[in-house]
Amino acid sequence: MNKFKKLTRDQRKWRTAVIMLLPALVFLALLIAYPLGKVIHDAFYHVHLINKSMTGFAGMANFQKVLADEHFGQAVKNTAYWTIFSVLGEYLVGMVTAVLLNQKFKGRAIFRTCIFIPWLVPIIVAGMTWDWMLNPEFGIINYALTNMHIISQPINFLGDSKYAMATVIFVNIWRSFPYYTISFLSAMQSIPGDLSEAAAIDGAGVFKRFFKVTLPQLRSVSLVIVFIHIIWTAINFDFIWVMTEGGPNYATETLPLMIYRYSMKKFDVGAASALSTMMFTVMVVLFIFYYRKRSSLSDDMA
Amino acid sequence: MLNKRNRVISKIVTYVSLVFFSAICIFPFLWMLLSALKPKTEIRTATPSLLIHAPTLENFKRVLVDVGFLQYIKNSFFVSIVACVLSMIIAVMAGYALSRYYKMKLVKTSNLAMMLSQMIPGVLLLVPLYLIMQKMQILESYTSLILAYTTFVIPLCTFMMSSFFDTVPLALEEAAEIDGCNKAQTIFKIILPLSLPSLVSTGLYAFINAWNEFMFGYIFISTDKYRTLTPAIMLFKGVNTVDWGGLMAGSVVAVIPVTFIFLFLQRYFLAGLMSGSVKG
Repeated sequence: MNKFKKLTRDQRKWRTAVIMLLPALVFLALLIAYPLGKVIHDAFYHVHLINKSMTGFAGMANFQKVLADEHFGQAVKNTAYWTIFSVLGEYLVGMVTAVLLNQKFKGRAIFRTCIFIPWLVPIIVAGMTWDWMLNPEFGIINYALTNMHIISQPINFLGDSKYAMATVIFVNIWRSFPYYTISFLSAMQSIPGDLSEAAAIDGAGVFKRFFKVTLPQLRSVSLVIVFIHIIWTAINFDFIWVMTEGGPNYATETLPLMIYRYSMKKFDVGAASALSTMMFTVMVVLFIFYYRKRSSLSDDMA
Repeated sequence: MLNKRNRVISKIVTYVSLVFFSAICIFPFLWMLLSALKPKTEIRTATPSLLIHAPTLENFKRVLVDVGFLQYIKNSFFVSIVACVLSMIIAVMAGYALSRYYKMKLVKTSNLAMMLSQMIPGVLLLVPLYLIMQKMQILESYTSLILAYTTFVIPLCTFMMSSFFDTVPLALEEAAEIDGCNKAQTIFKIILPLSLPSLVSTGLYAFINAWNEFMFGYIFISTDKYRTLTPAIMLFKGVNTVDWGGLMAGSVVAVIPVTFIFLFLQRYFLAGLMSGSVKG
């Protein structure tokens, strides 16, 4: 005890900070940093889960193998589609619902709860339930659409490569947009009401008020959630795996699924690691861009 | 200013649009429940109906008793609760450091490390994590899942807590210090009682995240004894035929706990979630 007393205030502060951060840092070091280092290391070595005779330095061989994969280009394109259209759709639906909910009327809380519920359920449940509703033989959606003569024949939404990607994107938007709604809503509620009122007195219509007053105030929250969702969507594995497993005929295979295919089906850890390393590099670049943008944005606000 | 007619029109548009969005959000759950209560003949039909002619609990009985979902529910609860408590302890400690000692280099670096690790997907680390768990001989155990779930929620939970601690005035702590409290006493007696709402939302986030996770449970666990709910649902999707009735009944079982917890605690949950996401 005596020894502690002798520490200066700064030293004591430092010690407290270290002790408080230690558990978190241990977890992150052992279960994120170390595996990540292993992935980057393995990308340059021959590593195989079953065939242990494959060892040694590989140089760029793993990268070449992955780049030469006939489905690589398709997977990159799919990842881009999947990410861009999901985030775009989520943003639009989230914004519209937030604007609707940001008014005073009876039953607001009930609508807010209903709209938030999809975000709560496990991805597997969301995926499987839509899979069931979209079923070409027994599904309610095909039945309703044919009955209303919108389509003449049932569509195999998830089994037809023409529709599969659009369908998984739709279901992803359905599950993810509530997070945007709630974020925008809480940001809108912190905008002073007199700002909008003043604009209204000056004769600005509903749309003008939204674009000139509300939207600029949402810049910072938009940047954060759009960035986070670009990352979360691009790296998402569960959704597509549950609904299509990347099929039909690779039509919905994104990079995370390709990583999975290499590691858990072909057991080629080296190639899977090379793919992961490439993906990680792209994400770091995005992150740096985002970090700069965010710093400059908060400087503007200050 | 809007005149009266415009105001009525805008109200109608608001209600109609919200009913439309709510219906799209809620209908799949309604359909899930209806399908779970239907007998096989009414499920495998080309003319599905919103009405059930012969409602049955057959699907639930099969899922809970024959397939052994009771065990999976127990596993899911156990894993989620332990992961939730563990991540809360870690997040409170780290969040406090992030909020109070932000000027220190070590703290700034940790903050950046957490932001970065938020972007690293589980699937990217799947193989090394699998091998680590294998080496530690904790594959096929609760421990592997608890460790994985805790790790991946630490960043966001920490940000949620630290953004709350930012709002607690420093003067409160200094007063406690003058009164002779040490750091641990200050945190337990002064700060934590104040942070109850954020603790609830952080814990809830960690719990829901663990409850809903699929991939690690799917890869790390292959024995019934430790299997959790989400991978178990995938079991209904056979190679050739899918037991839709059972699948929907299992889904209902998986959705009920999170929905109820959310309905009771939504006020806390939403506020805390937002503060963390905007900061992280």
